[in-house]
Amino acid sequence: MERFQPDNTGEPAPRTHLVLVGIFIGLLGLAAMFVADLWGRVPAQPVIPPVDVKFLETTPWRQSYADMVAAKEDMSDFDCYACHEKGKPPPIRYDANQKIIIPKEHANIKMGHGNHDRNNLCYNCHNEANLVTLQVRDGRELKFDNSPPLCGSCHGPTYFDWENGAHGRTSGYWNTKQGATKRLQCVNCHNPHAPKIPTREPAPGPHSLHDAAAVAAGVKTNSH
Amino acid sequence: MVANNPPNASDKTSDRELTRRSFLRGSAAVSGVAALAASLSPLRELKDFTSTEQFLQKYYKELNPEDMQKVINRIEGEVQHQYGIRPHVRDLKPMDGVEFVYCLNLTRCIGCRKCVHACVAENNQSRSPEIQYIRVLKLPHGSLDLEKAEHRYDTKQVPEKGFFYMPIQCQQCKNPPCVKVCPVNATWQEKDGITVIDYDWCIGCRYCEAACPYWARRFNFAKPQIPKERLNPEMSYLGNRPRKQGVMEKCHFCIQRTRAGRYPACLEVCPVGARKFGNILDPNSEVSHILREKRVFIQLKEEMGTSPRFFYYFDK
Repeated sequence: MERFQPDNTGEPAPRTHLVLVGIFIGLLGLAAMFVADLWGRVPAQPVIPPVDVKFLETTPWRQSYADMVAAKEDMSDFDCYACHEKGKPPPIRYDANQKIIIPKEHANIKMGHGNHDRNNLCYNCHNEANLVTLQVRDGRELKFDNSPPLCGSCHGPTYFDWENGAHGRTSGYWNTKQGATKRLQCVNCHNPHAPKIPTREPAPGPHSLHDAAAVAAGVKTNSH
Repeated sequence: MVANNPPNASDKTSDRELTRRSFLRGSAAVSGVAALAASLSPLRELKDFTSTEQFLQKYYKELNPEDMQKVINRIEGEVQHQYGIRPHVRDLKPMDGVEFVYCLNLTRCIGCRKCVHACVAENNQSRSPEIQYIRVLKLPHGSLDLEKAEHRYDTKQVPEKGFFYMPIQCQQCKNPPCVKVCPVNATWQEKDGITVIDYDWCIGCRYCEAACPYWARRFNFAKPQIPKERLNPEMSYLGNRPRKQGVMEKCHFCIQRTRAGRYPACLEVCPVGARKFGNILDPNSEVSHILREKRVFIQLKEEMGTSPRFFYYFDK
């Protein structure tokens, strides 16, 4: 087998040597860079911080009377006859527009039951004859820890839904054989004096980090 | 470098001489080996190899109780090794006479996204990169055109006037397209209605993701990251045990809670009680009442014929 032989089979020119060695070193360097993986590595994504634990809170927004008793809260607000006199209903005062004037002792109460003023009257619900109870229009007298029937006396369909579990919060066990279903009362979510639920801060949405297209398009996204 | 001498070198001095041919051959060999090493170099980053036990593990439905116990012990060991917490892994089976249904009250939902994060916390989803099972859509009143939906809303306060909110998660279809397309049967529908995934059987082909009309399935593109202190140690094999890179996951109605009789995490955290869950086969359950009495208006994308077990309803 005859191999191709260059004409000058003797010494290669020193210049050729130099070039060959240069190429060799270049290739070796390139190989080293490959091994060290100096480029082509995907940059690490910044770490998304975990969500604030306040958004994981499952406790209801408000405490019912029964919750406050159970939690041994300060119940002095419910001790009506510490200030009021028994057997003497406190009078209700109105301003020039026939709006109720909240006395300064009850300044923490903000009236806002409905879009009209007709229901912003204390004795629609509170019992003027016995201030530590509530009264229903049909004559029933209810304790503070049993307020849902009072709400239900006006909000019938909602009360029906609540009784059947279609309205209101539940927690615990869906399977009553394995544990108790806890159902919250109206006042655990609604302030009876202003039942409309106020707006809230939403938890952060999907993080923009992983939607490069949206960022490029300038879509406003959560940065936290 | 070894010089490859031409066989018919004319003189002795050229025996040790570097010829162009031998040089090219040698350098090609060196750079070839180096390139091979470089191409294999990502393997250096592989730390958690699949254990032999996991590799040889049988299909979920073929595991007998003793096999399952071994699998659970392996998973508990792996989680403890990775997170330093000994989890409680169970394999809860569907109950007789139970079919789960979810109802969501669109009149009540305020779009606060607490369900999204309660779900992430309960089900050990990756925090970074982020995986979330629930997507809350914001839609203008008077329309159910999902094209107008926005799920990246970033307002200071919710709800906004003129909009309603529609959370979407796995609809647990009665006729699930995701199950049909799975080439390896790694996902299937259980008799209580939950479509589950065996993370050890999934090959990560993402066919199910493409088949799902609700965008309910999520893929672990990267290794999931969960802070140790946020790990939920109460786990289930088909549910919230930590996933690995390259597998699908999705909402499973909190299988580790609901098969133990409890409500799902998204329901318990909902501050307005818009979410309702229960057994449709029990005529006295909340969901039965809702489906009988309320204006249950849609199964989402009804025309797909998927027949979801997730119902949206209205008050009034």
